[in-house]
Amino acid sequence: MSDRPVIACRGVTVAYGRDVVLDRIDLTVPRGTLLPFVGPNGAGKTTLLKACLGLIPHQAGEIRCDFGSRPPAYVPQQKQLDPIYPVSVEDLVRMGLYPELGWWRRPDEAQRVRAAHVIERFGLAPHSRKQFGELSGGLRQKTLLARAVVSQAEVLVLDEPTAGLDAASEADLLALIRTLNADGGKTVLWVHHRMDQCAALARQVCRVDKRGVRVTDAAEVRP
Amino acid sequence: MNLVHETVSFVQLFPEAVICGTIMAAVCSAFGVFVVLKRIVFISIALSEAATCGLALALVFHASPLACSALVAGAVVFLLALPEKRHHLPKDVVLGTVFLLASSASVLLVAQSGFGLEEIKAMLYGDLIVSGPRDRWVLLLTGVPALAMLLLFLRPVLYAFLDREAALVMGIRCWVWEGLFFFLLGLVVSGASKSGGALLVFCLLVVVPATALLLARRLWTAIGLAAAIGVLTTWAGLLAAYRADLPANPTIIGLACLLFGAVGAGRWLFRR
Repeated sequence: MSDRPVIACRGVTVAYGRDVVLDRIDLTVPRGTLLPFVGPNGAGKTTLLKACLGLIPHQAGEIRCDFGSRPPAYVPQQKQLDPIYPVSVEDLVRMGLYPELGWWRRPDEAQRVRAAHVIERFGLAPHSRKQFGELSGGLRQKTLLARAVVSQAEVLVLDEPTAGLDAASEADLLALIRTLNADGGKTVLWVHHRMDQCAALARQVCRVDKRGVRVTDAAEVRP
Repeated sequence: MNLVHETVSFVQLFPEAVICGTIMAAVCSAFGVFVVLKRIVFISIALSEAATCGLALALVFHASPLACSALVAGAVVFLLALPEKRHHLPKDVVLGTVFLLASSASVLLVAQSGFGLEEIKAMLYGDLIVSGPRDRWVLLLTGVPALAMLLLFLRPVLYAFLDREAALVMGIRCWVWEGLFFFLLGLVVSGASKSGGALLVFCLLVVVPATALLLARRLWTAIGLAAAIGVLTTWAGLLAAYRADLPANPTIIGLACLLFGAVGAGRWLFRR
């Protein structure tokens, strides 16, 4: 595994038209870190991560990413997926195999077993045949996280994975995220809206606010 | 026995109507599953009207109906494929304008051409009964390859529609697959508009797949079911129109809407 940082931003500016969201920011994200991105609404947390993933263009500066041998896995908020699609939990988790399968190949036995194993590990086995739209918010978010894990990506990027979840589902999901980092060695970057939880979740946090972007000790973060 | 006899005599009298209706229903209904899922119902009616406008152009300039309808529908597809800017008017406004412009242009073109109300009615409502071998070939050469392409590339098209940002991060070139889908949809609508008319094509793209989606739990099932419902409704509509001496296309549309209402009501009752 490379020692190079997963993300290295130098003087990056991102704007929507004339509205500058991130102004000449610098950021280095080391490999294997568990890093929540915190800050007030509209500060540019999601914009920063999307710019690093190439989903949003940046107007100035340089973004260097080394996501490893596989593309990173992006986990959107569960409400971004339209529940009318007739896709089961199993179908959606197997979507994570796309970088290996492409548009044509069918999953082989090992890939099917891997998907089934992840479904089992995430406690989704009893729901694997259910449609995504039939699940609760917590189970939907777990399904999207399972899809990311199936892809065997070294870097996971999560956009407010606990938004709109009840306390129990939120705790469950955060425990899973921590396990992915601690046991699986994944680099996990996620936008988080609960500053009060940061110290319990990670050693460091990335603060995004009017003062810019900086990585600080989680213990320093006050709600 | 009488029904069987009438069915046989209908097929013998109007074989092209049955063949064209079958191809059109299967292809449009299968495509329609994605039209409904992607919530682009308004795009399909705008495309149908654009294709009809192309037919009116062909009528006036004595040109190829397929070429003209494909040209106008293609222009609309291109317009829709342009990237949407933030803070601008929603795409629905553009679609509504395209729909109105295409509808009024169709009527004005035919009115100026010296043709009459019957031609306008024929374009808008179509008439499967008068389909000929040429229509059959147009449908075969546009609809069948388009459907085959959609099914072949079903996985990236579905992923691009279902979760665009995750798909982009996975390396799926969403704009390619979205562009391909709209191109194929434009082709299908252009090919089907002359026989089907704007209303029947719209019905097959929206009402029939919506019925299938109420019943199906998997995507492949929904596509197969939509094609099957489309074909069966078309056959039933053609036969009912023949027996009751009614215009074919509105009869098919009426049956499709009734079936949708019945399935929707049944589902509601079942859930209670």
